[in-house]
Amino acid sequence: MQTAALANPLRGLPGTFALCLAVLASGLAAIYQATAGGTAFTTETLRRTAIAQAPMAVPDFGVVDAHGRTQALRQLVGQDGRVWIVDFVYTRCTTLCLALGTVFQQLQAQIVAQGLQQQVGLLSISFDPLQDQPPALAEYAARMRMQADVWQLVSLRSEADRRGLLDSFGIMVVPAPLGEFEHNAALHIVGPQGRLVRILGLGEGAEALDLARTLAAARPLPAP
Amino acid sequence: MATLAPPNTAEPAGRVSALAAGLTALVAVALSVPPLRPLIEQSMVWHMLVQMPLLVLAGWWAATAWAPQEGLRWNRFGLTGLMLAQCITAYWMIPAMIDRAVVMPSADAAKIASLALAGFALRLGLRQAPLAAQLFFVGYGLPMLIWLGWYMASTDLRLCNAYSLESQLRAGWGLVGLAGALGLGWVVSLRHLLADPGSGVFEIDLQRR
Repeated sequence: MQTAALANPLRGLPGTFALCLAVLASGLAAIYQATAGGTAFTTETLRRTAIAQAPMAVPDFGVVDAHGRTQALRQLVGQDGRVWIVDFVYTRCTTLCLALGTVFQQLQAQIVAQGLQQQVGLLSISFDPLQDQPPALAEYAARMRMQADVWQLVSLRSEADRRGLLDSFGIMVVPAPLGEFEHNAALHIVGPQGRLVRILGLGEGAEALDLARTLAAARPLPAP
Repeated sequence: MATLAPPNTAEPAGRVSALAAGLTALVAVALSVPPLRPLIEQSMVWHMLVQMPLLVLAGWWAATAWAPQEGLRWNRFGLTGLMLAQCITAYWMIPAMIDRAVVMPSADAAKIASLALAGFALRLGLRQAPLAAQLFFVGYGLPMLIWLGWYMASTDLRLCNAYSLESQLRAGWGLVGLAGALGLGWVVSLRHLLADPGSGVFEIDLQRR
């Protein structure tokens, strides 16, 4: 063995180089495949890329509003042809949801100012059905100064649907200090036929409204 | 042709390494299953700075205990081992993959197996690598670790949906510290060679296997 190596010092080198290249190529291929071609390195960007490429029908769960009225989520977002900008909240929130609330308040003001109530709606869905019963929803709606014709707030009817709702939208909720939750917050555009077509960041309120208005303008006219 | 040598567990050092590999692997795998799993699910520090390094360490010690003492033929200058370790560790530094290991059991299993393999490969790589090759991979890998840690600690963007920003911040500083410790350990491992200019460590010796 040693003598063979001494006789030919290059012994094993071509094989080593070939193997190294194979390892490198496999590694790069795995990373390329896992990051949508090197474009998305976080779960959040992967989620947004996937939805932009392949819109998804929203799941069909029963939701309940501040008045205790129950309806199906798909029916809620599909009933009047409006395009919805959806976010996820829990009403006890004092951190990120407040930022979300501010974004939604600004969107609400713009929708009213531009007279877009028939075209674009805002929908906040609580992922904390245990705490967010109708009275808590009503209190939150008042605190946020929601206008019923623009901004709807609903909670899940059943705790059992929580997992399915979060999984289908790709929301991960993690416990944070002081009994709060932290979650990936974004603006979800749900277009005609109740399909989630795009996910935008919190800072992209103007783009979200533009996109919603465009989608609403392109929708088929409701039957007379 | 180097085939897998019989375990050198007869030697005391080999036996200690085998024991260390087994214990480390046990603790690392235990962190992925109840009742310890919540630790890595809720804390990025436990996931990235305890479990992942333990997995690499388990592979490292397994190589010390069971890998053949002589150099492997297709690992000249340790290149294959170092490359494999580099690719695997880079993959598990991607935030989306860290998330996936938290929510998908199959990804978590892949993480366990591949990081242990990375430790095994790293040991075989470093053992056969001349200083130049070590310098190349250490000079690439440690700055990568420091950059990621620095970025995690300084951005206000949550990189992993599975972890809070606070957890990410602590893990970020931890990664910078880990990189520093690894760098220091590497320099210490070279002390005999550096102290002896005649050791040939500064040359790439084609006779070396």
